[in-house]
Amino acid sequence: MAVPDRLAAAAVSPGEAEGAKLVARLARGEAAALGEFFDRYSSLAYGLAVRILRDPTEAEDVVQEVFVQAWRQAARYDAARGTPAAWVCTMARTRALDQVRRRTARREESAENGPQLAAPLPDSAEALAVRSALASLSDDQRRALELAYYEGLTQSEIARRLDQPLGTVKTRIRTAMIRLRETLAGVLP
Amino acid sequence: MSDHPQRELAPLAALGTLDGESLLDWREHAQGCAECRAELAAFESLAGSMGLAAGARRVPPRLRQRVMAAAVGVAAPARPARAPWVLAAAASLAAVGLGAAYLSARAQKGVLERRLARESAVTSLIKAPGTRTVVLAGLPAAPGAQARVVWNVEKRQAVLMATGLEPPPPDKAYELWVIAGGAPVPAGVFRSGADWEALHQMPWVEDAAQVKTFAVTLEPAAGVTAPTGPMVLAGAVS
Repeated sequence: MAVPDRLAAAAVSPGEAEGAKLVARLARGEAAALGEFFDRYSSLAYGLAVRILRDPTEAEDVVQEVFVQAWRQAARYDAARGTPAAWVCTMARTRALDQVRRRTARREESAENGPQLAAPLPDSAEALAVRSALASLSDDQRRALELAYYEGLTQSEIARRLDQPLGTVKTRIRTAMIRLRETLAGVLP
Repeated sequence: MSDHPQRELAPLAALGTLDGESLLDWREHAQGCAECRAELAAFESLAGSMGLAAGARRVPPRLRQRVMAAAVGVAAPARPARAPWVLAAAASLAAVGLGAAYLSARAQKGVLERRLARESAVTSLIKAPGTRTVVLAGLPAAPGAQARVVWNVEKRQAVLMATGLEPPPPDKAYELWVIAGGAPVPAGVFRSGADWEALHQMPWVEDAAQVKTFAVTLEPAAGVTAPTGPMVLAGAVS
């Protein structure tokens, strides 16, 4: 599925330019910028953490860690490694997967007992583009990619989980990433 | 690309999904290959953006306050420097895309070990014969604060432990005073952390042998020889 033109038009997102300015202010130690940065990106970090952890309380802890980390390490932010939104997502994913690995006992769907989870917010143009690019992958590619991304499994673990040869799994993930990159060229920086 | 097969590992490295021989192969190669590191950076950027597909959700309102409170004590750019090896490790690990998880685990271990070492020193002080304790109450300038001073005249050791003590502004610090009847004697400056806790190993002052009151004031970061700022904690020795 090709990305519709109206999404490609969102390529230079004014929102991300604002985000980059906020990161620069964080790096200078402006506490007020942290509040603005939180307001802009916390729902993104929270949505991703909820998706990985399936536990709103743990996801809140992850969001807190992410923004304290952003405050401390803003000076190390490197635009070459992604937009501020991508930076926030990377931190949230890393922290959430760390939390998954820390869990000693597998708990039974605690999300049911936890605090009420807010409904998803409407997708931004960029989010919609990423979602449709993922949808354009084959089922096999998407499944392997999701196990890597949301469950943090290594290539060998994915091969065992899917009962496929390691080489096949590596190829699926690599091909999927290259395909995503091509599909999203012009949509994401 | 046959002379450069590791480049194919970049998308998997960006996801942190390499393991076994592929991981070793990638690490060894990427350290010396700028082209592969650039490829890694591009795929890391893509991997970050993939998180957008998870769907944003509004955070609970209380979370913003929690984050601001947790960050207040974390003076951003001018924090006390980490150990140089931690920075070096961060740089080299970041360069080859080997998990921030590893770094944070190492860094956390260091923090925990230092904390444990301090706490075991406190524990042995508490157990020593002749050790005395006094509770310091929070004054109106710091109503939620509480502290305890544990000291032993024979061992010439004293430690202050505080909780609920707001992290001081960057140019300020807390200063402990020993009052034995004459003028207050300065007994070191300290800061509370993001968790609003402090542990201060007091340099021994002779007046502590006859101490009547311990007090804490808020002072310029370098400390002063006589108290000038508001008193935040005080406790009389019975």
